[in-house]
Amino acid sequence: MSAGAEILRLDRVRKSFGNVHALKNASMVLREGEVVALLGDNGAGKSTLIKAISGVHPFDGGEIHVRGQRASIRNARDAMDLGIETIHQDTSLAPDLSIARNLFLGREPVTLPWLGVFAPLDFTALRQAATVLLKRVGISKKLDADVLVNTLSGGERQSIAISRAMQFAAKLIILDEPTNNLGVEETHGVLRFVREVRAAGHGVLFITHNIHHVFQVADRVVVMRRGEVVAERNVVDTDLLSVEALIMGVDASTLAKDTAAH
Amino acid sequence: MTVLIQPFDKPASRWRGLAGSPQIASLVILAIVLVGFSLARPAFLSPLNISNMMAFLPELGIIALGMTLLLTAGEFDLSVGATFALGPVIVMLLAQNGVVDIGTALAIGLLVCIAIGAINGLIVTKIGISSFLVTLSMLMIVRGVALYITQGFPLKSWDQPGVFVTLLADSFELGPWRLYTSLWWFIALTALAAYILNFSKLGNWISAIGSNRNAAVARGVPADAVKIGLFIVTSVLAGLAGMISAFRISAASPVAGTGYELEVIAMVVVGGTALTGGRGTILGTIVGAVMLRAIRNGIVLVGVPGLAFNIFVGAIILVMLILHAFIQKRSFRR
Ligand SMILES: Nc1ncnc2c1ncn2[C@@H]1O[C@H](COP(=O)(O)OP(=O)(O)OP(=O)(O)O)[C@@H](O)[C@H]1O
Ligand SMILES: [Mg+2]
Repeated sequence: MSAGAEILRLDRVRKSFGNVHALKNASMVLREGEVVALLGDNGAGKSTLIKAISGVHPFDGGEIHVRGQRASIRNARDAMDLGIETIHQDTSLAPDLSIARNLFLGREPVTLPWLGVFAPLDFTALRQAATVLLKRVGISKKLDADVLVNTLSGGERQSIAISRAMQFAAKLIILDEPTNNLGVEETHGVLRFVREVRAAGHGVLFITHNIHHVFQVADRVVVMRRGEVVAERNVVDTDLLSVEALIMGVDASTLAKDTAAH
Repeated sequence: MTVLIQPFDKPASRWRGLAGSPQIASLVILAIVLVGFSLARPAFLSPLNISNMMAFLPELGIIALGMTLLLTAGEFDLSVGATFALGPVIVMLLAQNGVVDIGTALAIGLLVCIAIGAINGLIVTKIGISSFLVTLSMLMIVRGVALYITQGFPLKSWDQPGVFVTLLADSFELGPWRLYTSLWWFIALTALAAYILNFSKLGNWISAIGSNRNAAVARGVPADAVKIGLFIVTSVLAGLAGMISAFRISAASPVAGTGYELEVIAMVVVGGTALTGGRGTILGTIVGAVMLRAIRNGIVLVGVPGLAFNIFVGAIILVMLILHAFIQKRSFRR
């Protein structure tokens, strides 16, 4: 868990939507074998930051370095090619497609690859890989790879998105509130997955509002407020109350008195 | 491909799965319609009548193939009927005035169709205006151009035999039936469209874009490029269908194909393709195309007065859509 090589470095990243300055000044570093929890209240800019990294909304200013190299991420394909896999907050699945087709969307196994986008899908490979993957995530109900995502619960969909990120064993996995809507078993599945990814030497950037999960899996917390990264702590050097105080932008002692008064 | 998306493994539920699939339901209805008309009027099955239907079918059917792919990606195109007219009008104007030879004229006609599709696609994807509004405006522009450059008069079509006439509108006898080469075009294009939608990488992208565009984009799928490509394909198929039709009847009319856009969209949705995108079926579209042609033809034979005719067509379309809605409700959680 001691710091490995640097995977991701953000340097004063900025992003505006019209005159909403969603990201004003976000800088942070993430290393191999490290789980970083990205915290902040609603609207702090967390999702915007990870959308910039994953190429969904390329940012307006600042720099991003991947493994020490300056990177330009203009679309999702660029990010994927750099080994960055993202599970977005708003579900990232196509409901009318089967689980198997969703798992390999954008990276379909094909026979006759020289046909380009017209190449036939390799259905055998598709289904086999999908079945193996589904076994790996702790989905309580046994799911068939041919089932339409339409018919799954929110938690099951989340698990599918997570298994997809696992499949492409990326250098960096970003999870935007992955335990939202999940039951107890699935939540533990996600946390176990985060530890597995770290053990494999990858980096994890983990957005959550559940501070307990932070203390269960994260090595470091990065706190955002109104589009800026305002604080950074090692988890071993801090405690729950201090982290909450950082998120709200108040003094930890005030918060402690507040809590005591109730 | 029905097999692919049917997860059920118990025999009993597999049966229910089949009956519950929109394609099979449309097939059953089509069978009922065909049997019904044949019983009511044996002339419905006469070689002459079947040949007649087969001459019309490919022209709308070819457009419906493009429309199916486009609808599956979540967009549609109201300008196909106008493009159906403008394509051949341009070809005939150029060829008859001796500006260029017929081959070049056809190529220029198709280029104009490509341009129409590209403009539709670019405005929809890059500016973000709904395809309803963009293609409605394009319908008026394209129809207007066709009327203006012909001064409203139909053009006599190319009547000299040649390789292109043979390719597009030759006819031949097959047993008791008289068939047109357009049927081969239709069959080949159907096979190609079915392959693309169900078995290729591109087909996976098309369905994903229509189902959840953001999810597809987040997986690196070039959604805008795919949509623009599909708009172009649809326009080109509409122009090609128009040229086939013009060669067949030896006339290119600036008002040809009026109302085809809605007829084609009806064919596609009657077949079970979702108007909201994400779910498309080429088999369903073929069923829808045959069904609408058979209904139009059969209703006349059965003796429904000409003016009452659309009442029946509309009612049958509604019944089909209600049926699909029920099937949807039963097989999806949300
Ligand atoms: N596409 C967009 N267009 C305009 N404004 C946006 C867009 N996306 C985000 N914003 C704005 O940017 C700010 C940051 O939003 P963001 O989604 O990054 O917050 P967040 O930290 O992820 O919040 P939450 O915890 O609620 O998910 C918000 O004020 C939001 O309204
Ligand atoms: Mg968010």
